[in-house]
Amino acid sequence: MMSADLFNVTFRLNGSETSFHVRPEEMLIDVLRERAGLTGTKLSCDLGACGACTVLVDGKPSASCVTFAWQVVDRDIRTIEGLSSGDGDLDPVQAAFIEHSSFQCGYCTPGMIMLARALLDENPNPNRDEVRQWMSANICRCTGYEMIIEAVQDAAERNRSSLYE
Amino acid sequence: MLPNATGVHSMNEMSRNLHVVGADLPRTDAVPKTTGSATYTVDVSFPGMLHAKVLRSPHAHARVVSIDASAARGMPGVHAVLTRDDLDGLSPVYGYFIKDQPIVAIDKVRYIGDVVAAVAAQSEQQAVAALETINVEYELLPAVATVEQAMEDAAPELFEDEPMGIVPDYGMGASGYRRIGRNNCYRFSYKTGDASVAFASCDHVFEDRFVFSRDQHFHLEPFVSVARYEGDTIEVWTSCQNPFPLRKELARVFQHPENLIRVQVPFIGAGYGAKNNCKTEPIAILLAKLSRRPVRFCMTTEENFLTQSQHAAILDVKSGVMADGTFVARSGLILLDSGAYSDASPLVAEKAGYRLPGPYKWEHLDIDCDCILTNTTPAGPYRGFGGTQASWASESQVDIIARALGRDPMDLRLQNLKDLGETYVPGESGLDSDMRVGLNLVADRIGYKKRKRVYGCGMGLSVGFKDAGGVNKPAQARIRVTTNGGIYLQCGTIEIGQGAQTALSQIVAETLNAPLDRVSYPALNTDYTPFDQGTNASSAVVVMAQAVQNAAIEAKNKVLSFAADQLECSVDDIELKDWTIRKGNEAHPLPVMIMRYYGGTGYEFTGEGFCKAEMDHSAPLETKCVSWEFGWGAAEVEVDTETGLIVLRQLVVSGDAGRAINPKICRGQDEGSAVMALTGALFPCMVYDGANLMNGNGLDYRLPLASDLNDGFVSILQEQGHGPGPYGAKSVGEGCMLPVASAIANAVEDAIGVRIRELPLTPERVLAAIDAAT
Repeated sequence: MMSADLFNVTFRLNGSETSFHVRPEEMLIDVLRERAGLTGTKLSCDLGACGACTVLVDGKPSASCVTFAWQVVDRDIRTIEGLSSGDGDLDPVQAAFIEHSSFQCGYCTPGMIMLARALLDENPNPNRDEVRQWMSANICRCTGYEMIIEAVQDAAERNRSSLYE
Repeated sequence: MLPNATGVHSMNEMSRNLHVVGADLPRTDAVPKTTGSATYTVDVSFPGMLHAKVLRSPHAHARVVSIDASAARGMPGVHAVLTRDDLDGLSPVYGYFIKDQPIVAIDKVRYIGDVVAAVAAQSEQQAVAALETINVEYELLPAVATVEQAMEDAAPELFEDEPMGIVPDYGMGASGYRRIGRNNCYRFSYKTGDASVAFASCDHVFEDRFVFSRDQHFHLEPFVSVARYEGDTIEVWTSCQNPFPLRKELARVFQHPENLIRVQVPFIGAGYGAKNNCKTEPIAILLAKLSRRPVRFCMTTEENFLTQSQHAAILDVKSGVMADGTFVARSGLILLDSGAYSDASPLVAEKAGYRLPGPYKWEHLDIDCDCILTNTTPAGPYRGFGGTQASWASESQVDIIARALGRDPMDLRLQNLKDLGETYVPGESGLDSDMRVGLNLVADRIGYKKRKRVYGCGMGLSVGFKDAGGVNKPAQARIRVTTNGGIYLQCGTIEIGQGAQTALSQIVAETLNAPLDRVSYPALNTDYTPFDQGTNASSAVVVMAQAVQNAAIEAKNKVLSFAADQLECSVDDIELKDWTIRKGNEAHPLPVMIMRYYGGTGYEFTGEGFCKAEMDHSAPLETKCVSWEFGWGAAEVEVDTETGLIVLRQLVVSGDAGRAINPKICRGQDEGSAVMALTGALFPCMVYDGANLMNGNGLDYRLPLASDLNDGFVSILQEQGHGPGPYGAKSVGEGCMLPVASAIANAVEDAIGVRIRELPLTPERVLAAIDAAT
């Protein structure tokens, strides 16, 4: 049973089907952080402008701070916690961010990594300008972006070489 | 080699073989920060935790006649309501030099956003709903929105009575004053020689007014803390970059023993200066006391804008030079827009005033820097800390002088820059970078001397300058090494994004001849962590790093001494490597030796380290500056004279890390600070309509994006080797903030022959300057 103002939403979260009883005004980020305990996704501007809260909804980067929980019914949600493999191997994007020192305070980093993952899923071979334009969806106040762009290019490289291994 | 008396270190100190220092090792916070497992204050949560929200003033200036919060107390989920009636037993006003900012409004509100009341409820929504039931009666007062308005004779005063405060001791040539004019909360002055006389003998005197924009830090993690008040113990987890001074201030505010206040700092989602001193903590603590529950107070981005900003500034600069270009005398009056409370303004004034000369061979200086209160968001520490404002004016005027004398701006700089090791001003330390090297480097890289002279395209140079390492800053560090060689580095430097955790750990690993992954860096807890003044003033690698290195050396010496006793030999006969003692061809694992002597449960070796510049009354700021931080910048612009748009085709910046402990981290500091400076140079910054902030949110506030840059943005890391830090290291956290705006303005003049003295360099200003020139 649920109370009249709650309703059930079921979606895939990092590969597993999951459901929550949510309020109509509840945002996806609140469900992720407060109900699912996935605090890697970060809230910042709360207006969908900065991208710190970026998660993948059916593979598309989405600002979870302006996505209602009910909007993701039956969708596939991936967060930073779901990016590395079950046995702990990092995603090539994560590995590249580490190698290129592409983060500082780290608060935008989960969102940046998810944004980059979405790019490489859509375009495995982006040129530098395509990376620059795509990554402009999110704000990083620390790095000046160049080292992020280099990491994304390198991750694309790593992706491609792993395909041909 | 250079004499030691200047404080400049010679190159040969960095010539040894290093295996960890200088290596581009992955940051020690890499895995938590790239997998989402890093814990920030926003992630801290306790059972039964309440959420705080605050009621903010809708008026820029008003007397608070009455507050009726009775309805709020009965609202659903509400556990505590805080107004001025709940401050009994407290000293509820805080600040740096001047204690003038109340936890909640007491007699007046002084800006739109000033905190009037607070509520703790089971959810933020319930807290907001309860705040809406609070009735506040205001008696409106006239407001002053700008420095000019605030300084008028008949201007309304933000403080009719003098708040409690101090003027610190200064040394030779420097002085401080309070309340010397309308709404003037502090003046810093520095004088050497006799500028007024010297101007008369100069061939040319230049007088210019420069205006500096007001950026907001826009740290992505908001101001946030979680407080518990159980028994007599106050406990707070906070996104704060100076937890020990915070503890001291909380002890004063709450009239509470310091040993019963525990401040803990998880990872911080950046601060850029904003996260110094009280922000959310007093309200969270007081609500925790009133509710007897843990309380989380997390601001929104909109509230960040109403809590702290950079200092806008007006800088009048007068410089006297000889016909051959020799710099002789400079005077200046800087007006900092301090917003509604003094906050760090006196300290920013100190640095803005002291840094206005720039690193040039002036003989006569006479500089005042005033902090003017206005009914706007309080201004506080912001990366560059007065140096950004000073460099904007100083480096713009150097170009103005060069062009008036028919000189190339680069040549005029090369003529007048101080030399490596030359004292900055009498009584001061020597400048610990060769500025000509840096200037030539960025000029060569951008192609300055070979540039084609085409109308609409131009290049500009700048040498950004500040001191580094703070004033009279003590730092302590402790090293603990376990039986099996696990190393704990305990020190008060906060990992706020700058990579200090990694760099300091590299220094320890190097000293103890251990791999980097043997070094842990426990999160700061004021109960256990040795004292530090704060993670600010680019001090980690020049001050704290010395304390850390000293601690590691002490620990190592204890280990070697112990091992020599056990092996019945001299310490000179043995070496420590990977927690094994090497003696000739013999290898003696330390765990076995330790357990044989101390018993099977083992032991920990400890080392303590300390660093502080000596007091020196001949130094203007009472200690010689530990180090000097430079940012060399070169910009190439294309100016569209139809639209006024400035296109940044190239931006080359360079900092001197002395010796880069971790070169990639240094690069990130140089590039990140340069891009941060672009906000103040080219974007609108904080736009006020009167005292009303118009764009204080994430959608309307324009920040630099990756697409605002292009492949012409390059940083060059220098390692000149003269820094006071371990292995010759110097700070790089702020330097490249400093040259960007002036390099661009200088490039604009090079491109279209028009000088713009006001930031930001918006298309409107460019067009207006073109119109004015024709």
